[in-house]
This record gives sequence, structure tokens and C-alpha cells, in this order.
Amino acid sequence: MFKWEKLGKAFTPQEFPGRPWMSEFAQAPSTLVFDTFVRVYFSCRPPADANGQYVSYAAYVDLDRADLFRIVHIADQPILPLGGLGEFDEFGTYPVSVIRAGNEIRAYYGGWTRCESVPFDVVIGCATSTDGGTTFQKLGNGPVLGLSLEEPFVLSGPKVRYFKDRWYLWYIAGRRWKLVDGRPEPVYKIRAATSADGIGWVPMNLDLIKSRIEDDEAQASPDVTYAGGRYHMFFCYRGSRDYRGKAHGYRIGYASSTDLVTWTRDDALAGIEVSDAGWDAETISYPHVFELDGKVYLAYLGNHVGRYGFGLAVLDGTLG
Amino acid sequence: MSADTASGWPFWTEPLDRGEGIRWKKVGKVFDPTTVNLPVGCLEFAQSPHALKFEDFVRVFFSTRSADSDGGKYRSHIAFVDMDKSFQSVIRVSSNEVIPLGALGTFDEHGIFPMSLLRHGDAIYGYTTGWSRRVSVSVETAIGLAVSHDDGVSFQRAGPGPILAASLHEPFLVGDGFVLLIGDTFHMWYIFGVGWRRYEPEVPADRIYKIGHAVSANGIAWVKDEARQIVPDLLGPEESQALPTVIEIQGRYHMFFCYRQSFDFRANVDRGYRIGHAYSDDLRVWSREDDASLQGTPGDWDSDMQCYPHVFECDGRVFLLYNGNEFGRFGFGLAVLETVMP
Repeated sequence: MFKWEKLGKAFTPQEFPGRPWMSEFAQAPSTLVFDTFVRVYFSCRPPADANGQYVSYAAYVDLDRADLFRIVHIADQPILPLGGLGEFDEFGTYPVSVIRAGNEIRAYYGGWTRCESVPFDVVIGCATSTDGGTTFQKLGNGPVLGLSLEEPFVLSGPKVRYFKDRWYLWYIAGRRWKLVDGRPEPVYKIRAATSADGIGWVPMNLDLIKSRIEDDEAQASPDVTYAGGRYHMFFCYRGSRDYRGKAHGYRIGYASSTDLVTWTRDDALAGIEVSDAGWDAETISYPHVFELDGKVYLAYLGNHVGRYGFGLAVLDGTLG
Repeated sequence: MSADTASGWPFWTEPLDRGEGIRWKKVGKVFDPTTVNLPVGCLEFAQSPHALKFEDFVRVFFSTRSADSDGGKYRSHIAFVDMDKSFQSVIRVSSNEVIPLGALGTFDEHGIFPMSLLRHGDAIYGYTTGWSRRVSVSVETAIGLAVSHDDGVSFQRAGPGPILAASLHEPFLVGDGFVLLIGDTFHMWYIFGVGWRRYEPEVPADRIYKIGHAVSANGIAWVKDEARQIVPDLLGPEESQALPTVIEIQGRYHMFFCYRQSFDFRANVDRGYRIGHAYSDDLRVWSREDDASLQGTPGDWDSDMQCYPHVFECDGRVFLLYNGNEFGRFGFGLAVLETVMP
């Protein structure tokens, strides 16, 4: 079992007014390490509109590399504009995953559109930055990973990685919309695709992680790292109903693999649970593991799926 | 119902001439959906006919519409009518939709329109265009695949999602797939959206779409010639092009499609759908040569609009099924090819 020492909440968007597009939420942290700081990308929201509906922007906060609880800089603008009329990302860019590729930085993100019979659909877009990750330009107005025969809706939560000369994208795909008390709730599972160039993707068309708490368990945030001869995946999962509270809300799970196809799930190894009290006492979700100066950190969300920011934990020991 | 007797029967006694461009002889309207019992409570519309030949009849698939009980929005469903090979009489109308609409949240939940057919071994591949409703714009579409093993009476989805959908440079509205197997390669001509535009404040946005091309080794996994518009515009960049249908005639490929202005096209006769034509010798470069021979007949069923063409060969002649006024609300008609360009 891994042993994480919780360090506390590292960023609270409400503490930094003046950015109307970032009035609350700092969801799905994804890091990029620079010489003197760690840039943490996340998705945030302006206040809901008159109908109670949100849009979601992607932004970042720079944390001092020597003291991750010292904020150096916060993005002045979202890193990406929302899409145009009828485009896949017209109503949101969430979540975002970043990676260095040569002199560029690439961002893969979930683009949100609004539907009539269900509340939304999501597919995955790609954008690149040539200014060190401050602003990104979309590769196109459409998705880089869209709907396909076996993945009919809600392709979201991308996590991009590059292992052994090959691009990998872990993400979630909707399996069905389940009516819960008359309201459609998406059931989604962790999937993956591979690519030679990060642009043309071939889905594996497999549910990678066996469901544990119920058949309609929803799984998200598949965050994969390599250490000690194995691939480690931290992810989160929740029940299909009443999941906004503590009982059936998000928890962090764990699986490992040696071939990136067969994964062995063992949530008992994850080593992080909700706290007895405080900002992460009800739910914990959207894990992201990163290494920094000889230590392994976990960025994650607490109650209300990141509405009040994200926190950090540090691993006692190594992943391998 | 009877075909237009003024066109003369039989209408294919003369050999196909060459040298005068494409010229169609109109037969008239051959099917009116309001005169038969349609499945799933549909009362009107027989849109985008697509013929599947059998030994002694032709099965014509089309999209018909039901109206939602709450707000009156339409859903399209695929049905068929069997007609004798002279298109003089209806033999049978399908008692059910040949494929149910998709599940909650899927790409074809709110309608299937159109579906094109391809015989492949013992199976019939149905390439569907699925419709799902959006909020900021009216709809999104994508192309699905369903397969029949009972001569097209019923189809089963190859999967719950689409086989061709929005991609990096084709951001929305992929639809109208028409497939031919040429040599070892499946070719699909389809349309993709290039813009949603609100032409006047406070009115719903209109869409602009163009014809594209994709290839496949198996008819299932496709490689798009991403975002390449293959047929030049006649009406300028805001021309919308739809429903490509392709046939080889005397060694040359001919494409028929319909085109229109992208707004004020429903009621304004001067801006509505017309049938266009392009030809190619290499399946890559298409030369547009719209032909004036298929014009609306004043006072008749296709006086104001001609759209959703389907071209096919039957017993040595080339036929064109198409819709007329009001996008096919009152059925489809037929024309037979008289001449073809050299």
C-alpha cells in the first residue's frame, strides 16, 4: 500500500478575485515542471448563467518549485478560447492534460457541448503552445478524438503520456446514460488510445479497469506513471446515484500493469482516503501524480469536485 | 398510383445517346407517402429515396417523419416501399421502421435521415445519418453503419456510435454517406459542415456544408480526405451541397447531388435546392457541370425544388430518384437518363 501524507489545499480560486472567468472551481490539476516553478493547469468557471448553467475555462497557477504552497503567478487569461457556434468545445474546456513535445507544449482537453435529451456531450480536442504554455492554439475546430463505433458519447478526462516512442491517451468514454430519478446521469469507464504522432489516434476499444462498487460505477481521471518496471494508474470512481455527497461520491482507486493492456485493480493500495474533517472530508477525486526533485506528489480534488480548489499530498517512499 | 403517362411508356426504348451532356427524361412522381400506411405513426415525407434492386422489384428506402407529441419537432425513420421495375405500382410498404432510433444520448437518437445501401456479400450495409438535438444550434449529425441479413427488412447497428463523425478539421455535421466498392476500395462521398451562421439576429443558426470523400478497406474503418471539398461551388462559398450519389457510366464517374443557398432556402423558390452534377475520371478531381435538363415542371410536384437525388442502374438503364417540393413531404419522383456527355 502506498502511503500519502496530505499537505493540504494548495490553491483556492476564491482567494484571487479579479478574474471573472475564474470565480470558482480549480478542477483536474495537471502539472508541467519548469526551472523555478511548477505550473498546474486546471479548469475553472465564471458564475453560472441565468439558467444555472456553467461554462468551463482552462487556466494555470505557478507554484514555487522550492515551496509548492507559495503561489508565484496565476494566468491572466484562459489558455484557450471557447469554441465557436456549434463546435464541440463551445461550452467548456475541461479537463486539460499537458505534455512537452519538442519545442512545443501540447494540451489535450475535453470540449463540452450542450444537448437536448441529455445535458451535455464531450469529445477531446488538442491545442499547442509555442510560448511556454501561456497560450494555446487549437489544431483544428473539431476534436482530435471524436465519437466512434464503440465510443458513442462523453469522451472526456484525457491524460496524455509518451512511453517508449509511443503516444498514449487515457480517457473516459460514456457507456450509457442512466436515468436516475428521471434525470440522465452518464456512466463512463476508463479507456485508452495510442498514436504515432499524438494526432491520429487508434482507440483500444477496451474498458481497462474492472468495475468494483457496482456495474454502473463511473470512473475518471486515469493518471498513469511508470516506475519500478510497472505502470501505475491512479484514478477516481463513484456510484451511479446520489454521488454528489459522501456516501457514493468520488474516491481514489489504483491499478497497475506491465503491458498497458491488462490492468490489475486494487483500490486498497491507493493509500489515500477522505479526511475526517475539512476540505477533502466528503469526496476525493481527479488524482494527478508527478515527480519533483526526488519526491512523488499527488494533486487531487476534495469536496464538491474542486469547487474550492485542489490540494497536494506527498508519497512516503517511491512508486516503484 | 401511376407515373406521368405523358412521358410515354415504356420510357427506355431509345438507346443512350452521347454528346449532348446529361439529359434526363422525367417520368413524374412515383410514390406519395400520404396514400399509404406508414410505420411508427408517420403520415408524411418520403425523403432521400435509395433503391435496392431485387430480381423482379425494386426496394426503395426513404426517410419518413413522426412528430413529437410535446412540441412537434420531427424525428426521421427509415422505411421502404417495394415497387415493380417500371415504377408503376406499389407492391408493399414496410410495416416497421427498418432500424429503431438510437438510445438516450447517442448520435442517432432523434432521427435517421438518410440511409444509403450497399450489397456486400450476403449482407446489406446501411449507412445511416444520425441526428441528435443540440441547444445552441439545432442539431449535430454523424454517419453510422447498420447491417441487414434479411434483404433490408431489418438492420442491426454495428455499434452504438458512428463510423464517421466530427474530426479535427471537420468540426460538425458529418452526414449523407454514399458508398461504392470500386476494385478493392470502399469509397464514401459524404458531407461535412463548414459553418453555423446566424444570418439575422434572433433566428436559429443555419448551416453550411460541402461534399467530401473517404476511403476504406472494409467499409467500416474510414480514412477521410480531411476537410477537402471535392466539388467546386456554383453559388459561392455559402453554397450548401448535400446528398452525393455516384455512378459509373461508360467509363466515367458521375456524381449527382443537391445544392442551395444557406439561408432563406425553404420558401424562397430562387434559393432552394437544385440537382447538381460533377464528373471525374480518377475519383479524385471532380469537374462540376451542372446540367439544366432536370428542371422543375411549373405547377407540378417538383416545380419549386429538386433535391436528394439517388442515381442507379437497373436493367441496362440509368435512373434518378429524387424529391420535389417541400423536401419530399409528398413523395419522390423518377427520371431516366437519355443522354450522357462523352
